[in-house]
Amino acid sequence: MMSTSATALRPTVLDRVLHDYRAVADSLPGDAQAHAARARAAGLLADIGWPSIRDEHWRYANLRAFERLPAYRPAASPRQDAAATLAALQRSGALPPLVPGFERLIFLDGVQLGGERSWQPPSGSAEAAQWCWPAELRLGLLCDMFASDAARLQVRGEARIEVLFLTSPAAAGGAVYPRLQLQLARDSRLQLIERHLGAADAAALVACNVTIDVGPGAQLRHYRLQQCSRETAFSDTLWARLAAQAHYSVCAMSFGAGTARTSARVQLNGRGAALDWQAIAAGRGEQVQDTALSVEHAAADTRTDEVFRGIAEERARLAFSGHIHIAATAPGSHARQSLRGLIEGDGAEIDLRPHLEINTDEVRASHGATTGRLDENLLFYLLARGIDRHSARGLLKWAFLGDVLREIALPELRAQAEGVAAGQLQDVPAMEVLP
Amino acid sequence: MSAAAENGVQAGAAPMLEVRDLQVQVGGQKVLNGVSLSVRAGEVHAIMGPNGSGKSTLAYVLAGRPGYEIISGSASFEGRDLFALAPEARARAGLFLGFQYPVEIPGVNNAYLLKAALNAARRERGQSELDAFEFLALVRSKSHLMQIDESFLGRAVNEGFSGGEKKRNEILQMLVLEPKLALLDETDSGLDIDALKVVANGINSLRGPERSVVLVTHYQRLLDHVVPDFVHVLARGRIVRSGDRALALELERRGYDWLVEQAAA
Repeated sequence: MMSTSATALRPTVLDRVLHDYRAVADSLPGDAQAHAARARAAGLLADIGWPSIRDEHWRYANLRAFERLPAYRPAASPRQDAAATLAALQRSGALPPLVPGFERLIFLDGVQLGGERSWQPPSGSAEAAQWCWPAELRLGLLCDMFASDAARLQVRGEARIEVLFLTSPAAAGGAVYPRLQLQLARDSRLQLIERHLGAADAAALVACNVTIDVGPGAQLRHYRLQQCSRETAFSDTLWARLAAQAHYSVCAMSFGAGTARTSARVQLNGRGAALDWQAIAAGRGEQVQDTALSVEHAAADTRTDEVFRGIAEERARLAFSGHIHIAATAPGSHARQSLRGLIEGDGAEIDLRPHLEINTDEVRASHGATTGRLDENLLFYLLARGIDRHSARGLLKWAFLGDVLREIALPELRAQAEGVAAGQLQDVPAMEVLP
Repeated sequence: MSAAAENGVQAGAAPMLEVRDLQVQVGGQKVLNGVSLSVRAGEVHAIMGPNGSGKSTLAYVLAGRPGYEIISGSASFEGRDLFALAPEARARAGLFLGFQYPVEIPGVNNAYLLKAALNAARRERGQSELDAFEFLALVRSKSHLMQIDESFLGRAVNEGFSGGEKKRNEILQMLVLEPKLALLDETDSGLDIDALKVVANGINSLRGPERSVVLVTHYQRLLDHVVPDFVHVLARGRIVRSGDRALALELERRGYDWLVEQAAA
């Protein structure tokens, strides 16, 4: 009886989140409408509740990592002197080299360095209703409640932009809420690099929201590189809407964080809209990396091509759930899923779940999911050429990730991504082996 | 004068490869049942036999493929216990296996594989690694001999190659690595007449007093182009007959049944 009573008295994670929100709500930036929007997000989270692994969408997420955090309020990072902070970051080597031709925006602990706060939280207008996070994306509500800044990009014509979200040691014990809002006008082109980097000892929650509107005929090439510190619990919530003939191409690389969860929803709303989602994840130690991607084909002649390659070493756990729904209003749609996992540790796990839900006759759809260990036939072939076992294993792992790494069209970025991958995996030196 | 003598083989020389009474099983099933074979430097041996006679098993066991249990017997390569060496050490020591079914390795390009393999072999021989220009010059010359377009070098290993292209790629690798002993497992299978000649030219270009070749084949047609010094017939897991090229011609006329029956008797 005593223990039951004690349990009942212990605050739930939702209690703690809402408590933190109430404690800081008045001090968060924004006007009355902004505060109202935050309050609505808090109310919605209270209504739908904290996710549970009993829910299929969250089955493989490491929710405990998000529930054991000391605080959900934004870290009390001091407003930085932009120039001095930037210089210090460059001296420390925390900033990756700038990819030629790209403009860079830097956010430190959720606040833009040297920039004016650009985000006005959605008001009570139609916009707020449009971006009202559904239950499977509910961790996005955290960012709606707490975020104090945003990278807001409205693109007409062509642009190349890198948005760098850095988490500093000052954020330890708190939370950071990066936010990215994209709007691509008709026929515009954007190449976007989105990076999340964390200082080695910055234990924190990083809860990121990304909303994307790709206008008619517009093209978005979106590179996402997650390199947070192992102490980080990383939640990434993305919602993209594509108009007619729009093309959204994602290359997502997840290497960091102790626990990383990506919840993504892509809506192909206009005729001929197309999505290419290519993702790699590499985990080792006790890392958990989980992605739940939902794609909705709502219009005719829409296309999805989904590729996932994951390597789990030691006791790491990886999961990728790809749900593609083709509505009755989407004849002529084409969907393909290729999900593959490589297990390189006795305690490692990979769960891959392709799922096609088709409600019209005129579609072409295929899916495949395989998980296994390194192919012994391939390994022997390399050994029989005199390549040592260590290098041979590394070569094959490298090749496994190559399906996605090869798609990075920017040589400098590809070299950087390959370097990060090489640092994350055992046996894999940085090598130029990909055709 | 025999081909071996032409290649400078000395009758009294110690064998490069010495296999003695080798017995091997796979999954509890005995596949090799006492194979003995002696190959000296400069010699070309052909191992023929019907399906399931153990030809490929012999090649795989000598190259170190896992999954085979050696029950008894021995194999030495230049006096070293072959079975004490890991597969990669056997390769670096100069033993090359040409695969019957070369695997495709998406994501790894041919040039990288060749360079990594060549430099591993050169380090073993105490030679310096080739720089990029030296390597390219070497590979180009060998590719030309094998009638392989240079663009192959930038493609993934064997990915999307035809059967003939894969076999030519195997011989290209062999020519670049310059092994002391080449075990070629049914390199002629799946080749048309022109490709067979190209492959045969490649093999012949490697022949010399310091190198040996063991050809595993079903048919004698490859032996029209690569003339062996010795022909052995493997049946039911052991060598039941050895001879010179005339034996291969006899097999072409009579088939294998008569030898298999003799072996069973």
